[in-house]
Amino acid sequence: MTQLLSQTEAELRDAAQLAVELASKRGARARASVHHEGIAKIAVRGGEVETAERSGSQGLGLTVFHDGRRGSASTAAFDRASIERLVEEAMLIADHVQPDPDADMPQAESLAFAAPMPVIYADSPRGPETLLEAATTLDRVANDIAASDKRLRAGESVAVAIEGLWALATSDGFCRSVMRSNDSRWTVMLAQDEGGSISDFCQSQARRVEDLLSAERLATIAAERARRSLGAKAVDSRRCPVLFEPRTAATLVGELAGALTGAAQYRRMSFLPDPIGRQVAAAHLSLHEDPFEVLGLASGGLDSEGIAGSSRAILRDGVVEGLFLSSFSGRKLGLASTGNADGFYNLRLNSTAESGDWDAMLRMLGTGLVVTQFQGGKTDPASGNWTQAVRGLWVEDGQVVHAVNDVTLASNMNAMLNGIVAVGSDVERLGAIRTGSILIDDMQVGGRA
Amino acid sequence: MNGGDTALDRAQARLLGPAGLDEAAIGRALGVMAGGGADIAELYFETTSLRSWQLEGGRVTQGSFSMRQGVGARSAHRGQVSFAHSADIREGALLDTARAVRTLERRGEVASHPHGIALNRRAPAHALYPAIDPVAVDDATAWIAILKRIDELARSTDPRIVRVDANVRATDTTILVAEADGLLAGDVRPLTILSMVVIAEQNGQRARGQAGLGRRAGLDGFPADAVEAMVKTAATMALTNLDAIAAPVGEMPIVLGPGYPGVLFHEAVGHGLEGDHHRKHLSAFDGKVGERIAAPGVTVIDDGGLPGRLGSLGIDDEGSAPDRTVLVEDGMLTGLMQDRLNAGLMNARSTGNGRRQSYAHLPMPRMTNTFLANGTADPADIIASIDRGIYATEFDGGQVDIVTGRFNFTTIAAWLVEKGKLVAPVRGATLIGVGHEALRHISMIGNDLDFDTGMATCGKQGQQLHVSVGQPTLRIDRMMVGGQAG
Repeated sequence: MTQLLSQTEAELRDAAQLAVELASKRGARARASVHHEGIAKIAVRGGEVETAERSGSQGLGLTVFHDGRRGSASTAAFDRASIERLVEEAMLIADHVQPDPDADMPQAESLAFAAPMPVIYADSPRGPETLLEAATTLDRVANDIAASDKRLRAGESVAVAIEGLWALATSDGFCRSVMRSNDSRWTVMLAQDEGGSISDFCQSQARRVEDLLSAERLATIAAERARRSLGAKAVDSRRCPVLFEPRTAATLVGELAGALTGAAQYRRMSFLPDPIGRQVAAAHLSLHEDPFEVLGLASGGLDSEGIAGSSRAILRDGVVEGLFLSSFSGRKLGLASTGNADGFYNLRLNSTAESGDWDAMLRMLGTGLVVTQFQGGKTDPASGNWTQAVRGLWVEDGQVVHAVNDVTLASNMNAMLNGIVAVGSDVERLGAIRTGSILIDDMQVGGRA
Repeated sequence: MNGGDTALDRAQARLLGPAGLDEAAIGRALGVMAGGGADIAELYFETTSLRSWQLEGGRVTQGSFSMRQGVGARSAHRGQVSFAHSADIREGALLDTARAVRTLERRGEVASHPHGIALNRRAPAHALYPAIDPVAVDDATAWIAILKRIDELARSTDPRIVRVDANVRATDTTILVAEADGLLAGDVRPLTILSMVVIAEQNGQRARGQAGLGRRAGLDGFPADAVEAMVKTAATMALTNLDAIAAPVGEMPIVLGPGYPGVLFHEAVGHGLEGDHHRKHLSAFDGKVGERIAAPGVTVIDDGGLPGRLGSLGIDDEGSAPDRTVLVEDGMLTGLMQDRLNAGLMNARSTGNGRRQSYAHLPMPRMTNTFLANGTADPADIIASIDRGIYATEFDGGQVDIVTGRFNFTTIAAWLVEKGKLVAPVRGATLIGVGHEALRHISMIGNDLDFDTGMATCGKQGQQLHVSVGQPTLRIDRMMVGGQAG
């Protein structure tokens, strides 16, 4: 049973229902969402505990709908006086804003009164003692690996456990709640040579402890990532093919999904305007959304409006089939909600093009740049113009020649999506997104001269 | 006045009174935490309320209000920090939180303060910002009116402005810090921020402009001329960027305009001079205190006591008065920024840089107002000195890798300069460099020191804080510029 939570699902549902009931008495329709998390975190470095943390957080958010207007308010306290104040403030806002016909609650029949809830909680030991042991082990393994190569130094090793509860109630009589868990571990490794220092890390995140990468894997990957970055130098400015490691490839997938959200679409702040039915990416690509994956990191049975998502194609053969809509952004676009008021669920990028493991992808790259980390930059959401400072590897004839830094990479998202040549079989799960490495045919590298 | 008794009275009314807490109860909880012989035992109480209104596409259809409070309890034995926090601050919950810290310490039962800690030390009052509550303005029409004014002003600038989104948000924060050394100090931190984004459209091309204003004041701290200047900045940026050409690529000289581009020194110098990165030997500047790290004439200062700047604090989040820390003086590395924990472990003293995002976050050494001091050059001469390069006046944030010192910024307002003249605006140029190399290549420093408009924020280990950054116009002889042009 839970070692981190101090409140029960029933208590959260009661608080949500009280807020809705008080707002209803004032003549409003209302929706209340209540969350509570318990967190434990231990960071160890060099055999010593650096920080030990035990915390709880909670919040109640209320949205009222009254005469075509809406108001929102939230509180961290669930006592009756705080909830009364909350209703007061939300009503005050609804009395003053201008009406917006699109800002109404969804129809009651669209709510997920009985839809299936994917399992996103697993019972695992999560007390501070468990985490102390995990972080200490990870730190010891990292230091053992660092001791085998005098260029390496272990940084901090961290173990975090989170358990959470969420309840949603509406004035349509809807009230459901869900419990979730999240475990993560990471370790930082520093590498140093005459050219300077570099740090990198490896993190594993899952809904249960058994699904985490082992301490050995984490420390080995972190060490390898730090070591291979040594001796980095810039390359000359040029156009060349670029291979994104899964870590960085997931960011590209996230930017594609971001351009397909309702908010980006109705505000016309998307580089993919009016995308439904339009080919926006290479024809071998598809993107699938699945809210119901058991223990998925972005699984959920309903969004914060109470609407369920669905397992569906977002992109099929490079053509857009679906958007990520809330009832609000859906109305703005004349479409129904897709149950994505809180963003996208688990996404997976697939390709029917020739693929392969990491070494095969390097061979397909031939001569070009591998991107291992983004260091900062910008995507203009309206135009899709994309510029990033990156860290990576220079590859010639499929072989890594040296590490790269101090270069920028530029293109346009539309060109990049159409220029994807292959997606690797080296698939990783990075939060909500699953993707292999992504090979793009041609991008502008900015470097020396 | 603020701080001192003013803030303690406010904290009593907002935090302690409603929870039934008094000084003795706080002292008892501290006594539990200090029992194990901690170097630091501290309780940090906070209450925050926030009100915001949004203008979207010409209409104010959304508003929100939120309130939260809680206490963070921290102890430190040498480098080991134990931390727990709670949204419930009544005495029972407070004692539970204090005991949770003791449990995390794993130092066994040693109770040496059965009667609690006497809180008999106070922090002085200050006049950096007023002890007002900008959220208490219950006249919603005043908030909505200022957003509508922004919309009208922006649309009347030019018919090519096709969309205006704006936001106003006010925050009322009162904090109370109690330390096992007997300190009890409070601070009231009002904050109001206006921000806006406009889209300009011409021949199917779209471009974006943004601007904002942040002040430790209420709505009356935003006079009409300041709002008009903000709108002009956003509209001009969008209209200018309609004609932007692809940024050039390669190494070239750059000129950075006054104000927000000072974020260069925040990223390239400041983060590397935070005490925690030095204690852990992670900083690219590790071991270089006393050495030359920049060209002569380069002086960089962190000063938490500047009037009117958002990084200023009457007391930091550990109850220490903010210092004026000279980080780099005439090119020599002279100072680090410290909180109590890292100062204690490095045999130094706190410089008043101990800051935290909220009661639920641990304090760390953080910057306040960080800036490059004035030089003597005429800004026009600096631009005229460029044969071919970039002149940038606004960035969209920036990042630094502490370990390598590598930083990068993306411009949102920048021009290609040829033969000393601005040729054309460029879009999305990314400037990258290494802190200590860029510092050595500063060759001209202007006499027009200015600061950001109150929109600068800083993220470190997931904690966001308001800071201020500033600089005069300056020239850096060599910087890598990345863009779309081949």
